[in-house]
Amino acid sequence: MRSGLQSWVPVAFLASAAVLVFDPLPPRVPISPPTPVPSWATDATPVRQPAMRPVYSLASYTYECMECHRIIPSPEETLRPLTQHTEIEFNHGINTRCFNCHHRKNRNAFVDDFGAEIAWEQPQLLCAKCHGPVYRDWQAGSHGRSNGYWDTARGEQVRLRCIQCHDPHAPPFGSMAPAPGPNTLRMGVPAPPAHSGKRDPLRVYSGAEGAGNSH
Amino acid sequence: MAQADTPRRPNPASAGAGAVSRRGFLGKSAAAAAGLAALAAAMSPLRHLKEGDLPSVEDFLQKHYKEMTAAQKARALERIRERVRARHRVEAVVTDPPPMDGVEYVYGLNISRCIGCRKCVHACVAENNQSRAPELQYIRVLEMEKGSIDVETANHHYTPPLVPRPDKWYMPVQCHQCANPPCVKVCPVEATWQEPDGITVIDYDWCIGCRYCEAACPYWARRFNFAEPLIPGDAINPKISYLSNRPREKGVMEKCTFCLHRTRVGRLPACLEVCPTGSRKFGNVLDPNSEVHYILKHKRVFVLKADVGTLPRFFYYFDERGSRYHDPIEPGPVHATGEGA
Repeated sequence: MRSGLQSWVPVAFLASAAVLVFDPLPPRVPISPPTPVPSWATDATPVRQPAMRPVYSLASYTYECMECHRIIPSPEETLRPLTQHTEIEFNHGINTRCFNCHHRKNRNAFVDDFGAEIAWEQPQLLCAKCHGPVYRDWQAGSHGRSNGYWDTARGEQVRLRCIQCHDPHAPPFGSMAPAPGPNTLRMGVPAPPAHSGKRDPLRVYSGAEGAGNSH
Repeated sequence: MAQADTPRRPNPASAGAGAVSRRGFLGKSAAAAAGLAALAAAMSPLRHLKEGDLPSVEDFLQKHYKEMTAAQKARALERIRERVRARHRVEAVVTDPPPMDGVEYVYGLNISRCIGCRKCVHACVAENNQSRAPELQYIRVLEMEKGSIDVETANHHYTPPLVPRPDKWYMPVQCHQCANPPCVKVCPVEATWQEPDGITVIDYDWCIGCRYCEAACPYWARRFNFAEPLIPGDAINPKISYLSNRPREKGVMEKCTFCLHRTRVGRLPACLEVCPTGSRKFGNVLDPNSEVHYILKHKRVFVLKADVGTLPRFFYYFDERGSRYHDPIEPGPVHATGEGA
């Protein structure tokens, strides 16, 4: 009996040695492969790249505004539907008249409150006619996008103008597809709220249903 | 008394001093050989070690960041450069920019404008060489019901086809670079501290991975490398600095450093540069002409969990009117994101 016990000791040692060397049960690592991140997610290009000059593109041709408007007079503005520029999606609240912004005579300029011209390259002065508080915030830097250097003594800071984010004819900032969500080691997708309407933050889905990670 | 009369069982081992039975000898040597084999087997994973996996003597003797002389620091940066070249096949530019005089960084985030697109999250990962698997991200974007600010039930796994959802608002959370940081107080080895410009940094070589700071942080801003960080070779950012985005080892903490390798040379942080809405604002609060100074002075500002007394340098603000938060959202244009959206 005693010798039987003794012979178990080397057998156990050797068995554990074999397990350690040959590793028949590799550990399951709870690490999923990297989530593919689309390149646009890290791209700092602004959402709009408007031509900052008075041009108009139609059927793969690009015209200067005054090429047509020098010879073709515009009708006195009415509320009837447009016959030209119909592809412009127009969604600017109560601002529905072309000549609220565009100059009647010089189509290479915008118009200010007194009928004078605003240079095409300074669209923020036009927007400021109505959007005073936002213009004030933009001037101070709390509204709008900046790129480059915060310390202007060390480098240039690029301040985007209104129309580089907002379509002047349909100004609400657009929607976009979200970049992939987190795929953390221990966190799952939160379970939906129970019938009481309270959601338990510690309860997570275990399955892949609705998982934000595979996206 | 009864025991004294009990006959003792014969014991071969104690039959005479030094007498060893053949059976006992064989058994013991077999056990000893098996034990040695098991010891060798237990050490067998060492075979898989590659060159550079173990710290060199110089690595081992490296001092705390604040105690290194300039020459020692230069050698430490050189070692980091060599390690990045050996592991990632990339020629890195390793720097250690010091804090600027008269600068205290403050971050402002306009929750009226944030649309929850998560571009900041991924720009941060790419800039700061965070692990892709297991995934490690400094920024979480919380989605909450409009009219509520309950971070406990906030969702950061939202995946609608388009954001923002009309009945939700979005609140990105990252390290708040507190002026009274609880994470620094709990560190038992002083591997993390607050720099003069307000950024709380970690000496990754000094961190012992106890994760006290992770537990102490009320904003869940600190991340732990539970496994060997994986950065695909072509994804590494070669512009690295000692205190911020150099590749980390398994078993150390890391956190947002306001991209100090960028901001300490005057540039804006990566999360700010990629934000399509311009919701993120950054600058020197001590400069009265800075954007963040204007925001703190003129906008409605709040900090997250003000009641815990951490005095964050990360301020959320919102616009008075005419912003998405207050107005019903009419379906606007959809910005193409290259994913066929």
